[in-house]
Amino acid sequence: MSTQTTQTTQTAQSTQSTQTAQSTQSPQSFPQRDVFFVSNSVNELGGVTSWSHQMARLFTESGHRVHVIGITEPAEPQDIGTDLPYPTTTLYDEHPPRVGPARGIKGRLNIAERRLRAARTAGMHEQAAKLTALFRRARPGAVVIVTQVWAMEWVTLADTTGLTVIGMSHESYAYTRACSRYGRVRKFYKDVDRMLALTREDADLWIRKGGMDNASYMPNPLPFMPEVPSPRTGKVVTSIGRLHDQKGIDMLLDTWAEVAPLHPDWRLRIYGSGEDEEQLKQQCTDLGLDGSVEWMGRTGDVPGALRGGSVFVQSSRGEGFPLALMEAMAAAVPCAAFDCAPGVHEIVQDGEDGLLAGLGNTGELARRLDTLMSDKELRDKMGELARQNIQRYTTAEIVRRWEELFAFLER
Amino acid sequence: MGLIAERDTEARPDVEVEADVSVVVIVYNDEARLPAAVRSVLDQTLRGVEVVIVDDCSTDGSYEVARRLAAENPERVRAFQLPENSGGCGEPRNVGIGHTRGRYVMFLDSDDVLERNACRNLLEAAERDGSDIVSGLCVRLHLDRRSKKRDEWYPWLYARTQVLESVTELPDLLAWDTLSTNKMYRRDFLMENQLRFLRGMFYEDLMFIAEAYVAAGRISLIPNQVYFWHVYEKAAAKSISNRRHEMTNFVHRMEIHRRIDALLAERGLTELKRAKDVKFLKHDLVLHLRDLPFRDDSYRQEFAGIARDYLTSLAPEAYDEVQPIHAVCAYLLRENDWDNLLPAVDTLTNRDKISAPLVERDGHVFWCADHLDDSFGRHVLDVTDLGYHTRTVDRMFLRNALTGYEERGGTVRLGGRIVNPLGVIPEGARLSGELEFSARRRSLQSFRFPVAELRHEGAFVSWEAEADLAGRLRPLGIVDEVWDVRLKLDVDGVRTTTRLTASEPEPAQGLLPVRPRLTRLVADHVEPEVSQRGHLCFRLVTRDRVEDKDRVRELVVRGVRGRPGKLAKSGFRRAKEIRKNLTSGETKLRVYDEVFSRLPVKKGLVVFESQLGKQYSDSPKAIYEEMRRQGLEFEAVWSYAGSPEGFPADATLARRWSLPYLKALAQAEFWVDNQSYPLKLTKRPETTYIQTWHGSALKRMGFDEPAWKLRSQPRQEEQQRVLNRFDRFLIRSEHDVRTLAKAFRLQERTLLRVGYPRNDALVHAREREAAEGRRTRGPLAAELGIPEDKQVLLYAPTFRKQGGRSRRFELPFDVERFAEQLGDRYVLLVRSHYLNHVVLPPSVRGTVVDVSARHDVNPLMELSDALITDYSSVMFDYALLDRPMLFFAYDYEEYVHEGRGTYFDLLERAPGPVVRSEDELYGALESLTEDEAKYQPERERFVAEFGEYDKGTAARSIVEQFFSHWSRA
Repeated sequence: MSTQTTQTTQTAQSTQSTQTAQSTQSPQSFPQRDVFFVSNSVNELGGVTSWSHQMARLFTESGHRVHVIGITEPAEPQDIGTDLPYPTTTLYDEHPPRVGPARGIKGRLNIAERRLRAARTAGMHEQAAKLTALFRRARPGAVVIVTQVWAMEWVTLADTTGLTVIGMSHESYAYTRACSRYGRVRKFYKDVDRMLALTREDADLWIRKGGMDNASYMPNPLPFMPEVPSPRTGKVVTSIGRLHDQKGIDMLLDTWAEVAPLHPDWRLRIYGSGEDEEQLKQQCTDLGLDGSVEWMGRTGDVPGALRGGSVFVQSSRGEGFPLALMEAMAAAVPCAAFDCAPGVHEIVQDGEDGLLAGLGNTGELARRLDTLMSDKELRDKMGELARQNIQRYTTAEIVRRWEELFAFLER
Repeated sequence: MGLIAERDTEARPDVEVEADVSVVVIVYNDEARLPAAVRSVLDQTLRGVEVVIVDDCSTDGSYEVARRLAAENPERVRAFQLPENSGGCGEPRNVGIGHTRGRYVMFLDSDDVLERNACRNLLEAAERDGSDIVSGLCVRLHLDRRSKKRDEWYPWLYARTQVLESVTELPDLLAWDTLSTNKMYRRDFLMENQLRFLRGMFYEDLMFIAEAYVAAGRISLIPNQVYFWHVYEKAAAKSISNRRHEMTNFVHRMEIHRRIDALLAERGLTELKRAKDVKFLKHDLVLHLRDLPFRDDSYRQEFAGIARDYLTSLAPEAYDEVQPIHAVCAYLLRENDWDNLLPAVDTLTNRDKISAPLVERDGHVFWCADHLDDSFGRHVLDVTDLGYHTRTVDRMFLRNALTGYEERGGTVRLGGRIVNPLGVIPEGARLSGELEFSARRRSLQSFRFPVAELRHEGAFVSWEAEADLAGRLRPLGIVDEVWDVRLKLDVDGVRTTTRLTASEPEPAQGLLPVRPRLTRLVADHVEPEVSQRGHLCFRLVTRDRVEDKDRVRELVVRGVRGRPGKLAKSGFRRAKEIRKNLTSGETKLRVYDEVFSRLPVKKGLVVFESQLGKQYSDSPKAIYEEMRRQGLEFEAVWSYAGSPEGFPADATLARRWSLPYLKALAQAEFWVDNQSYPLKLTKRPETTYIQTWHGSALKRMGFDEPAWKLRSQPRQEEQQRVLNRFDRFLIRSEHDVRTLAKAFRLQERTLLRVGYPRNDALVHAREREAAEGRRTRGPLAAELGIPEDKQVLLYAPTFRKQGGRSRRFELPFDVERFAEQLGDRYVLLVRSHYLNHVVLPPSVRGTVVDVSARHDVNPLMELSDALITDYSSVMFDYALLDRPMLFFAYDYEEYVHEGRGTYFDLLERAPGPVVRSEDELYGALESLTEDEAKYQPERERFVAEFGEYDKGTAARSIVEQFFSHWSRA
């Protein structure tokens, strides 16, 4: 997922104190449990890692005994700090052998691959035994939350008797459907106690189209709630996201090419870095937009970046439950975005607290931006409403929903 | 009901633990399957579930099994038995409800099972939403079929999670999902509303669920599968729903419907009633009607007597919401018109069959000539929209009713009559026919017998034939047990295929001896029978030596199921697989790449294609004709998809994607096309691809379309490779450069600014008109039967995604009104997009003409005096004629904003009036002549902007540039 969420988490940690107050004020009391998070890695770069550690902290604060487990070391690490109030474990010392299933007679006869496969299987059982040992020490009522389906391959091999196992899919159904993860989610999450998607719409799709009758959903919590909202005075449209195909910055530039001539005094600030940077800057020059587009690079200060703008734009090809939109709304900045996933129209209520456009319809997104840029009153109204509405995903609320789920799955 | 309530209070004192859910499992003589049903409850992921088994006084060991299950699970299972058999599902369920202790209640039949997560999912929704009823998806599993087919029960109701404050928010739920079993009920809700099943009646579910829906405060629907309904078709004791031909069954059904209607009427729920009426016409009635051809007259009369009363209570609007044939059948039944009803039922069973002679009155097509003085009958029987009158005889599936069947000495004499709808088989037509016998499972052999006699009798063609089955029919045995019969009729050389409908019960009887090729031990006779769809067929049977037959059968079956059989079968499957692979696109592509592309390129070979091979038209045609006109020596190949009709005789024709087509493309020196050759074909560098394109762009195209932008980088690159095959791309104006060339990311050097060859004729037409001072009409006017004194309008709308698979395009105005108001002055030519089609009523014959099937739009443009379009690119071409243009943009906003967007605002630049409604359209037509001069400058501007290079010389200049060095004949 995007780089900016990494930085977000750090900010989240710094504003944690206010949230602690929120979450402990909860009137209901819930039993204390052992909660295991099992992910690909404890600290791989991406939104899932940020999410796991945010939830791990929150559960620790509400009295649960949390343990974060990674299968292996990450390819690209993310800084998760050193003062974690819970233990972490990584199973493998080095990455397990990479080998696919045997295909055809040729595949079955390939001796080198066969050895590798055998070694991998043996290794998996060995690591799964470590998991079993950790799980055995848990008190009754313990919960295992598997955040990524790859990690589930090890949890499946471990003994989870007496534990509640929850498998999660942190992206939209359509996004998973289009890649190999689809088959693996259906296979490995088939018998977990609950498979969680991000929105009800995604869960419904998993149920009807994916045949996952154990599917339900759980939204992500708001990463942070800035104390000072954006004044929405700067004539700036903000975009934050990795410069990668998935974030659709190329479509954003096409969009901007249609809006910029109507609003010569406005600027588009693009935060983020990534492999497509050169190509995108070239496209920007070719479209003659150099005068109105500012390439800001990666930022460590998301709230600051958001405060500097009056409108937020997201042009992604695919998302799950995009934190960037939640952050912008928390900063009272109205959003214009492609409706690329159920998570997007779950967060932004089109026409109420933001404006959505058909996925890939740059003309429509341009009109949405134009609407927001032309109408200060509308920006203010939608921005304020966005800040209010996004409170339904406060950490306290999301923690409560998790506690209820734990209790329900015990019945 | 009072009694049940009493029992309930009696049951209360022994309450021990309060479970979340109680599942009432009812059983009657089903000891074998009961344990699986109960197990499916005990294995639920939700733990707090208890089972209440109620045995309807079985005569087998069901109750003992139930008690054993209770003993094994003392905390969770209890068993009860009714003192005497109740004969239905209602009473046991009622008793079960009385014994439940959970906060929620479900019902399960002993032969079905619950999905593992059913209780958890239903309970979660119930508690989350505070609902009285939660319903999930029921799935029917056909366990005794090889394929283990699964049917989802009205899945459209369960596409997503929904919460209804009242069933009135979703009337279809009440109308269609009438099961009580795929649901969870709040127990207090059942008690407070005293909801119980009727006793001693079939369809008790219908009443119970209707009352429950109406009483419920809130209903949740979840998309999860919750209930697996096991269907055993071959089961000896068929369940109630399979025995529907029984009259009592129908009587019960009607009684239940009446009671539900009374309930709805009492509450004033008219919307629900109407949805239910629609369902009755589409579903309930159809179930019973389909059986009618197999029943005798007294049954039919009794049936009609019961049905008629009820039919009159249906809302007339319901007839408009069902397919025409449903409405026709219901109406004819109501009118007790059996002569017309029975053929109609044939169409109900065989949907594409035409079974009535039909009549045309006042320009409309009616199912029959009767009842037309009744205005409702006239409305229901009007089947013009089905477009029967637009079909040729080979595109019709005609009813062929068997009128005689006689067997003597191994020969059958058959007679019948084939319906002749609207006289599609003309009097005096040359008629011939043959009977064809072929096995139902892919036939290796078929047997034909001539039809000796065919007589044209107006509304019918009657026939007689003899088939010496004993002498000539030689089945293989075992693999071809059922033989279907078809009559193939040739009408003036055009063939249509019919099937023989046995229209009366048991018309054909008697065994006929046959000699299977395998051995007579497997079968020695064929016996006529009637298929489920009402068609005559013959089944292989054994009459003699029954014990031998059984032994042989067993041997054969053992062979088939044993090792040799398995080997043979897998070998056969593999051979089939190989054959499939050999003819697959992938193999063809490999042949193209690895074989054809290594052959030398042939100088002078040109492959032409227009609209993906669907037409002989457009610029490729214009270029081709110019080359022929100049007498160039070259080898022309025209690609066609579908029928080769209408393609030029002096070119080699190759079916698109056929091997000769691929070979020609691989060896061609030139590709000339206006849309795209198959995307996966690589063009050789020696081949020159002239892409003429097929119109300037209003709508966004290529990489300017959202769908293209969304593709991943690799797929975009793949697409670009396809586009980069174009060596030349024709340009009509700089607008094309800004739109199409940019959208396809074409290099400047590929652009050929010569205009469109197809438009040369239009430019010439305008020049000729200016020179001669008058417009001349070509031979097409006479061909279409257009009188001299009438003006011609061409209506050419753009493609619309409508009508689903049939691609039926509903015209946005009433053609009959057009004919009435303007028919004295105009003839309207309707040309729908080549991917859409329209149906015109006979009433507008001569005034409104469907010209969609014509390949080439150019002659139509030249013929017409004005154009009506919406957003079709035909506007850019027609403007060259400098004749009036009307823009009927009735859905402009929707089209522009919800679609992919446009390059410019048509409303600003249209070179003629833009009208938004039918009335405005007529208004604009009234002032067509006055407006012509007014819009002249606009048309000129339009041509300058979008057609500056169309000078009437495009074809010539292309031939000069690319082909002029070729020798001339």
